[in-house]
Amino acid sequence: MKQEFIMKPHNDNIEAQVAKTMELLDEMKPLKVNHFFRVRLMQRVEKEFGPDSKHSDSFAENRFTLRLAFFTLLIIINIGAAVLSVQQNNRRTTSGISEMLDKLSDDYTGHEFAYYDKSAAYTSDTGSHETQAP
Amino acid sequence: MTSKEESFRNLVAEHQEMVINTCYRFVFNLEDAEDLAQDVFIEVYRSLEQFREEAKLSTWIYRIAVTKSLDHLRRLKRKKRFSSLKRIIGIEDPSADIASPQDNPAEALVGNEQATILQEALGTLPDSQKTAFLLSKQEGFSNQEIADILKTSVSAVESLVHRAKKNLHDKLYAYYKQQ
Repeated sequence: MKQEFIMKPHNDNIEAQVAKTMELLDEMKPLKVNHFFRVRLMQRVEKEFGPDSKHSDSFAENRFTLRLAFFTLLIIINIGAAVLSVQQNNRRTTSGISEMLDKLSDDYTGHEFAYYDKSAAYTSDTGSHETQAP
Repeated sequence: MTSKEESFRNLVAEHQEMVINTCYRFVFNLEDAEDLAQDVFIEVYRSLEQFREEAKLSTWIYRIAVTKSLDHLRRLKRKKRFSSLKRIIGIEDPSADIASPQDNPAEALVGNEQATILQEALGTLPDSQKTAFLLSKQEGFSNQEIADILKTSVSAVESLVHRAKKNLHDKLYAYYKQQ
């Protein structure tokens, strides 16, 4: 009880300080505008948007030209990529045909047709036999 | 003078005070607030043609002001973190020796420690709470306008302000208790 009695004035003091600090915002008086504010602002506007500025019409025109050039470049790249892919596809089909032809020719030299070689050798042997025969 | 410049001049004349004061509430420094306000109007000038009348022009301008102010605070935080990192690895940052505008008593909010404490506490709040709370403290902004700036509902703004007050109170209370 005694401690509460001692603590209360301290807390009240803190509350008073908090209230006083928060009141600062209510006590703030509206500022009067400096006479030169508008003069400086208009000078800045002139500097930034005047005929010699980077925001002038010529700058806008340049930006448009740049954008146009960029889009043209994009279109060229797209067309180039399309042409390349078409060419590659063509090459793939021609190489496919040549591979097929190679396979066909390979078929005659495969193991299945090895018989003809052997038989040829055999006939030559028999031929030699025949010549050897009386 | 072109018609665009003429209408821009009128627009600046109409909104400059509100924009500077909005930025000031976030950064607590007049010079920074004016620089930010300049950036806001430059942005307005640049994108005025893209402005779609979905919102009021004033709401759109104040939204830009809030965004720029929050960006500025984020940049400051990053800079602080970077310079403390530099200090840890032993690189001296010469810019750290130059007093920041907040250190200048003539420029500071009320020239006392409380403003710095308040700013530190505000810095810990989430952006949405901070924005709703600071705008609610500024004259000329109704809850409906704040809701429009934050692109939310009035009830959400009320909730954000309530939570911001509670968080701020708790943080300040914890700070003063430590002292």
